[in-house]
Amino acid sequence: MTVDRVRIGLYAVVAWTAVAVLCSVALITRPEVPTGKAILAALPPSLLLGVIAFGARFACRALPLRRTPFSRVLATHVGAAVAAAGLWLLVWKASPSIMTPNITLVFAVGVVIYDSAVTVHYLTLELEASRIAEEAALRYQVLAREAELKAFKAQVDPHFLFNSLNAVASLCGSRPADARQMAQLMADFFRLTLRLSSKERISLADEIDLVARYLAIEKVRFGARLDSHIEVDAAAGQCLVPPLLLQPLIENAVRHGIASVVDGGTIDIAATADDGMLRIRIENPADPDRPQPRGESIGLQNARGRLSAISNGRASLRTSEAAGKYRVEIEVPA
Amino acid sequence: MIRAILVDDEPLARDVLREYLAAAEDFEIVAECANGFEAVRAVTEHDPDVLFLDIQMPKLDGFEVLELLDRSPIVVFVTAYDDYALRAFEVHALDYLLKPFSEERFRAVLQRIKSQKDGLKPAPRQLASTLRQKPLQRIVVRSDDGTIQVIPAARVDYIEAADDAVVIATGGTKIRKQESIGELAGELDPDRFVRIHRSYLLNIDRIEKIELYAKDSRVAILRDGTRLPVSRSGYARLKELL
Repeated sequence: MTVDRVRIGLYAVVAWTAVAVLCSVALITRPEVPTGKAILAALPPSLLLGVIAFGARFACRALPLRRTPFSRVLATHVGAAVAAAGLWLLVWKASPSIMTPNITLVFAVGVVIYDSAVTVHYLTLELEASRIAEEAALRYQVLAREAELKAFKAQVDPHFLFNSLNAVASLCGSRPADARQMAQLMADFFRLTLRLSSKERISLADEIDLVARYLAIEKVRFGARLDSHIEVDAAAGQCLVPPLLLQPLIENAVRHGIASVVDGGTIDIAATADDGMLRIRIENPADPDRPQPRGESIGLQNARGRLSAISNGRASLRTSEAAGKYRVEIEVPA
Repeated sequence: MIRAILVDDEPLARDVLREYLAAAEDFEIVAECANGFEAVRAVTEHDPDVLFLDIQMPKLDGFEVLELLDRSPIVVFVTAYDDYALRAFEVHALDYLLKPFSEERFRAVLQRIKSQKDGLKPAPRQLASTLRQKPLQRIVVRSDDGTIQVIPAARVDYIEAADDAVVIATGGTKIRKQESIGELAGELDPDRFVRIHRSYLLNIDRIEKIELYAKDSRVAILRDGTRLPVSRSGYARLKELL
């Protein structure tokens, strides 16, 4: 890779030098000057200009057209062109030349060569950028597919179903009316899961609705050990997210969080949207001594993959744990 | 009368066990527990004939509860996870109930308990080591006064053999546990714990450096300054891992 770069750089220097030599020879050729001598005389200043013309690429890279104010681009390159042409002129004058070329013309040629180099650099940089963007888009598409597939497979933990059914079975004996209600909660939750997961994007408000239904079922199982507090501002509720983005994370909060603590606690969910950024925070109590799974849970991996797929890598998901609280923070461009 | 203890962190799960047991003759519930700590205490206090034991619980899971018991009731696992079923089945005195279970299935289990009540039972510690998840993620210890300590494996600095027991060093404190160092070495994560010496099992995350001490004998210096001997074969094992 780097060897390739060096080689391409060399070619570029040679090419620009050749251009400079050609221009120079054209300038100084007169009947009494042999072409060989003219080329020899033109070579040192031309080599200098060739290197400068190639070096302009770094300036172009540092000042990308789309993200730099045009005035700055213009000022930088006009300044650089004058400096480059000045240098080239100085070397010209210093060389023991048999011919005295027109100084203004030499300076002008220097400026033109530098500017054409800048133009070529910007063109090739643009081409390169668009190729990279295309590749990235393709890669994210593949990632998105994979993540969707995985998410589909791991939508809902089957043990959640078994434990909930056990709760229904238990309620049937002592509190049939509650059993009926629990069966209803479960049916509503699974129906909503199916409906939402078939969509490409859903509003955060819909996802939160799903999560709230999930928590209502877990509340029947865990009783006083599980509380939840949800705070989503209006703008955040309207943001679009992939379906079942949060549900597996909330499932983790119950399974590895609430279930690991004797007295349980509160699962806090908060979402805000401003400056074009949707921020979601999930916080739950967790026993620091609980058995730690090796590596990241599938739910977290999936969420990470899907977030980066929908945002071309601009979203972030961070986890942290302190003072018996486990926290997941998501930032995604709205 | 067959005396039973119910252990489950979900009240509804205990309700259904209680309801089914009430319908059965010759069974009485002597205690109900909502977590592993309570379970260890209750078994020690009541010495029951049978323990209905959930596996996923806060503080101590079902296997860790078994490990901490001296006396050995008949154990019936009650869980929504069938991953353990096969392993549980290999051990004769055990049965397991997958949630949710039918009353019929429950009655069959009770029948089995009655027929096994006076039979041979494996020691609970042996059961536990057969069943517990490997690699071991945390070590549980019950001291003579009955207090229970849970030490996450990541927090263990090193383990030292002491006769037929081990001393576990963790953050400056030392905790004694009745288990052989070989047994523990076999169950802890082999990528993290290395037997650097016949008497020492070391968490490699704690190593600061290894120094040559004399010809063919080395010493491991830990981050907190502790120096532990490294035998020749121990050094070979370390090198392989690092």
